[in-house]
Amino acid sequence: MAADYVALLPAAQMLVAAIVVLVLDLFTPADEKGVLVWTSLAGLALSAWVALRFRGAEGAFGNTLLLDGFAVFFILVFAVVAALTILMSVQYVRESGIREGEFYVLILLSAVGMIIMASANDLILFFIGLETMSIAVYVLAGMWRSRAESAESAMKYFLIGAFATGFFLYGIALIYGATGSTHLDRIAEALGGPQAALLLTAGVFLVLVGLAFKVAAAPFHFWVPDVYDGAPTPVTAFMAVAVKAAAFAGWARIFLHQWEPLRDEWTPAVKALAILTMTLGNVLAVTQSSVKRMLAYSSIAHAGYLMIALVAGGEVGAQALLFYVVSYAAMTLGAFAVVAALKADDREGAAYADFAGLGYRKPFLAMAMSLFMLSLAGFPPLAGFTGKFYLFRAAVAAGHTDLAVIGVLNSLVSVFYYLRVILMMYMQEGGVEAKSFRGAPYLYAAVGFTAVATVYLGILPTGALYASLGAIASLR
Amino acid sequence: MTEHVLTYMTFFPLAGMIAVLLLPSSKPNLIRWTSVVFTIPPLLLGIWLYRAFDPNNPGLQFTEQVPWIPTYNIQYFIGVDGISISMVLLTALLSFICIFASWGIEKGVKGYFALFLLLDTGMMGVFVALDFFLFYIFWELMLLPMYFLIGIWGGPRREYAAIKFFLYTLFGSVLMLLAILALYFTSDPHTFDMTVLIKQGASYSTTPLGIWPFDSLHLRWGFQHIVWLALFVGFAIKIPAFPFHTWLPDAHVEAPTAISVILAGILLKMGTYGILRINYPMLPQATADLAYVFLGALGTWNIIYGALCAMAQKDFKKLVAYSSVSHMGYVMLGMASFTPQGINGALLQMFNHGTITGMLFLMVGVIYDRAHHRDIEGFGGLAAVMPVYTGISALAIFASMGLPGLSGFISEVLVLLGTWQKYPVLTVFAATGVILTAGYLLWTVQRVYLGMTNEKYKLMPEINTRELFTMIPLGIIVIIVGVYPTVVLDLLRASLTQLNQVIIPHLG
Amino acid sequence: MSDPFFPVLVLFAFAAVVVLALLFIAQTVGPKRMTAVKADPFESGNPPQGDARIRFPVHFYLVAMLFLIFDLEVVFLYPWAVSFRRLGVFGLVEMGIFLLIVVIGFIYAWKKGALDLD
Repeated sequence: MAADYVALLPAAQMLVAAIVVLVLDLFTPADEKGVLVWTSLAGLALSAWVALRFRGAEGAFGNTLLLDGFAVFFILVFAVVAALTILMSVQYVRESGIREGEFYVLILLSAVGMIIMASANDLILFFIGLETMSIAVYVLAGMWRSRAESAESAMKYFLIGAFATGFFLYGIALIYGATGSTHLDRIAEALGGPQAALLLTAGVFLVLVGLAFKVAAAPFHFWVPDVYDGAPTPVTAFMAVAVKAAAFAGWARIFLHQWEPLRDEWTPAVKALAILTMTLGNVLAVTQSSVKRMLAYSSIAHAGYLMIALVAGGEVGAQALLFYVVSYAAMTLGAFAVVAALKADDREGAAYADFAGLGYRKPFLAMAMSLFMLSLAGFPPLAGFTGKFYLFRAAVAAGHTDLAVIGVLNSLVSVFYYLRVILMMYMQEGGVEAKSFRGAPYLYAAVGFTAVATVYLGILPTGALYASLGAIASLR
Repeated sequence: MTEHVLTYMTFFPLAGMIAVLLLPSSKPNLIRWTSVVFTIPPLLLGIWLYRAFDPNNPGLQFTEQVPWIPTYNIQYFIGVDGISISMVLLTALLSFICIFASWGIEKGVKGYFALFLLLDTGMMGVFVALDFFLFYIFWELMLLPMYFLIGIWGGPRREYAAIKFFLYTLFGSVLMLLAILALYFTSDPHTFDMTVLIKQGASYSTTPLGIWPFDSLHLRWGFQHIVWLALFVGFAIKIPAFPFHTWLPDAHVEAPTAISVILAGILLKMGTYGILRINYPMLPQATADLAYVFLGALGTWNIIYGALCAMAQKDFKKLVAYSSVSHMGYVMLGMASFTPQGINGALLQMFNHGTITGMLFLMVGVIYDRAHHRDIEGFGGLAAVMPVYTGISALAIFASMGLPGLSGFISEVLVLLGTWQKYPVLTVFAATGVILTAGYLLWTVQRVYLGMTNEKYKLMPEINTRELFTMIPLGIIVIIVGVYPTVVLDLLRASLTQLNQVIIPHLG
Repeated sequence: MSDPFFPVLVLFAFAAVVVLALLFIAQTVGPKRMTAVKADPFESGNPPQGDARIRFPVHFYLVAMLFLIFDLEVVFLYPWAVSFRRLGVFGLVEMGIFLLIVVIGFIYAWKKGALDLD
C-alpha cells in the first residue's frame, strides 16, 4: 500500500519543507532570518535527492502521478532554479521590505505545483499542479507592496492567468467528452479507436492555448512585459524560467509523448506560434529602453525557440527541448540576477542607462552579464549556442528547414539588443551609481553558479545531453 | 609532447588569459610580461613545427582526434597541412609581436591582455580545426575579443566601428552556419569531420534546383552552388571582398595599432583560408563553376578598387587599410587561376601580406603615438628627424609595392604568372593595380618622409627599441622570403598541388 | 456530420445568435427616454441615501476570509466521519495530516495577529 505513494514523495517533501519554513518564520527574530534561507535550500536539496533516490518508482494513484526519468529531470531543474532564485532574492527581499519568510514559502509552494505538473499523467492532476504553481506566483509578483507596478503586475498576471486557466479547463472538459477520461494513458488508448474528432480537436487546441498563455507564446504574450517588469526581479526570473519550464514539461509529456498520434493536427498551429513568437519577441525587444523589459521580450523569443523543438518532435526534438530548457534556465537566471543586483533603494535599476560603465564599477557582474547576453544571443562556445544548435539541428532533421532558417535569422536580430547591454557596460562612461549590495554573497553565488553553468553547458554539453536522453527514454 | 603540439599552441594563450585574470590589475607591467611569457611557447613550438613539418606529405600532420560530443558526432579534431601551416606560424609570430606593440595601452591593461590572449587562441584554433563544428566555434570565439578590443580601446568612433565589424561578421557566420548544417545533413552518417566531408565532396548534387532568382542566371544552380555561395559570403566578409569591405576601414582606423596588425595580418587571411580549406575540396564542381566570377573577377576589382580608394585617403591608417583590400585581391585572383603558380602565389601572398601589412600598421602606430594624428598631409620630411624609422618604413612600403628582392614581389608575380595562363584579360587589369599601388605608396612616401620638415615635429623622438623590436623580425622575414621564397613555398606546394588536382577535373 | 456532439455545437451557435439578436433588438427597437428618476441608483424602492461606497475596516475582510477557509476545511470532516469505518486507520492518519496542516494555518494566522480584535 505504502509503495503506491512513493511517486508523491518529492512533492510531499517540498510541501513539508514549505510548512517547516512557514512555521520557522513565526519563531525567528527579524535579524536571524538567514536560517530560513538555509532551511529552504535544504528542503530543495532533499526533494532533489528524494527524486533521484526513488526514480522509476511505481506511479501513484493508479498511475496518474509518475516519477519517471522525465519527471526527475524536471524536478532537478525546478529545485536548482528555485534554489538560485532564493539565493538571488535574499538581499533584494530585505531591502525592498518584502516579507522574507512568506517569500521563500511561496517559492517552495510553487515548486510543489511544478513538480506535480512534471509528474502528472492525468489532465486534472496537471491542472491542480498548474493552479498550485500559479497562485503562489501571483502572490509573489505582488509582494513588493510599496511599489505600484508590483501590484499591477500581480493583478494582471492573476487575471490573465485565470483567463488562461479557463481555456485549459474547458479543453480538458471537451477532451473528457471525446475520450471518456482525463487520464493521459486512457486518452492515448482512445485516440486509436473511434472518437468524436471535432470535439477532441477543439479540446486539444484549447489545452494548447492554455499552455501557450503560460509560456508566453505570441499572440498570448501581451501580458508579459508589464507583468515581468512590475514583479520583483527575482520573481521575474522565477516566472521566466521555472514557470516556463514547468509548462514546457507538461507540453512535452502531453503533446510530444501522449498525443503523438495527433501530431498532424497540432503541428501546423505550433509551428505558426513558434514563428510568430520568435519574431515578435525579438523585434519588440529591440525597441525597449529597460533591460528588464528587454529580457521579458527576450524570454518570449526564447519560448519561440523552444517551440521549434516541439514542432520537430521525436526523440531528437524532445532532447533538444530539454537541453535548451537547462541552458535557458542558466543564462536567464543569471541575467536577471545581475539586474537584481543593480536595484536602487526605491526603484529597479534596470534601465539601459543604469548599466553604463558597469564594466568599471562592478567588473565581475559586468563580465557575468556579458556572458549571459552572449549566450542568449547564441554565441559559441556558450550554452545558448549549443542549445540553439541542437534545436535547429532537430528542426532540419525533421524537415522543417524553414523554421531553422527563421530561427537563425532571429538570433541575428537578437544580437543587436543583447550587444547593446554589453556596449553600455563597457563603452559608455558613468551611469547612475546604482546602490549595489554590500557583501551580497548569496547573490554573487547565484551569478557565479549560473555563469559557470553557462560556460560548462556550452563546452561540455555531453552530460546534460545524456541526462535529457535518459529522461526522454523513460517516457516510453 | 609532439602529438599534442597544436593543442599546446592553441591553448597556451588561453591559459595565459586565466593567469592574467588572476593577477592584480594594479601591476600592469606584471600583466604585460605574463602575456609575453604565454605567447613565447606557441612561437617556439611554431619554430619546432616548421622544422618537423614534412613538406613532401600533402596530407594532414600532427593530427589529434578525440570525440567531444559523441551524440552528435562532434569531435575535437585538429591538424595542419600545407594550407594551414604558414598561417599557424604567422599567427604565433604576430601574436607575440603584438603583445609588445600593445605596451603603450594604459587603460584597463588587465582586460586588454586577457582579451588579446583569448583572441590568440581563437585565431590559432581556426587555422588548426578540422572539425566543422570546432571551426565554427573558434571562428566566433575570435569575433568577441575583437569586438571588445576595438570597442573599448579604440579611437573616437570605436562603438560604431566595433558594432559594424561585429554585425557584418556575424551575418557571414550565420550563413556559414546554415551551410555547415546543410553539409552535415547531406553527409551519411551525419558528421562535421572535414576530412570525411571532403571525401564526399565530389558527390554533392549539382542538379539545378530551379530556385528563383538563381535559375535565371546563365549557370544552373544546384545544391552545391548554393552552399558554396553561402560559405563564400561568410568568408568574403572577412577577406573583405568588394561589396562587403566597408567594415574594414572603420575597424582599422578605430582599432589600436596592435589590433590593426592582427586584424589585417591574420583575420583577413581567414576568409581566403576558409575558401581554400572548405569551398575548394568540399564543393569542387561549384568552385570550378563559380571561381571565375566570384574570385577572379571580384579579386581583380578588389585590387583596382582598393588601390584607387587608398589613393584618395588623407588618413594614413585608412590608406593602409585600403591597401589591404587591394592586396587581398591578389590572393583571390591567384586562387581562381587553378594553376600551380597562381595558387601557390595566392597562399604565399597571404603570408607575405600578413608580415608586410603588419609592418605598415606598426609604422603608422609609431607616428600616431608621437603626433596623435594620422593626417598624411600633416607630416613631411620625417626622414631628417627620424632616419632609422624612415629606413624601416621604406622597407615595409617597398615590400608592399612589390619591389623585387622583397617578399611582396614574389607572390604578386606568381599570381600574375598563374592567372595569365587562364584569364589574360583579368591579368592585364590586375597588373594595372601594381602601378596604382606604386603610385599611392610613393606619393605617401613623398608626403610623409620627404620634403620640408614640419616645424611641429622637428623634435619628434626617434623610433625606440621596443618599436624596433616589433618591426625588425617582420622586416627580416620580408627580406628572406623575397630573396629565397622556397622557405615558405616548400611548405605549401605538396598540399596545394593535391588541392588543385581535386578541382581541375571539374573545370569545363 | 456523424459526430455525436454536433448538436451541442448547434446549440452553442443558437445560443449565441439568440443573445446577440436580443441585444440588437433591444438596442434598436426600444424607445430611449432618460429621466432623472430612471438614472438614479436603485435602492429597494426608497430614495437613495449617502454614498454607495462605504469603507469597512480591512479587518472585516480578514476575519471573513479566515472564516471561509476554516469553515470549508471543516466541511471535509463530514464525509470523512460518514465513511470513517470503511476508511479505517488509513483514513484516521490522513485526516490527522489534514488537520495538522489546518492547525499550522491557524497558528500562522494567530501569530501574524490576524485574530487580534482590537
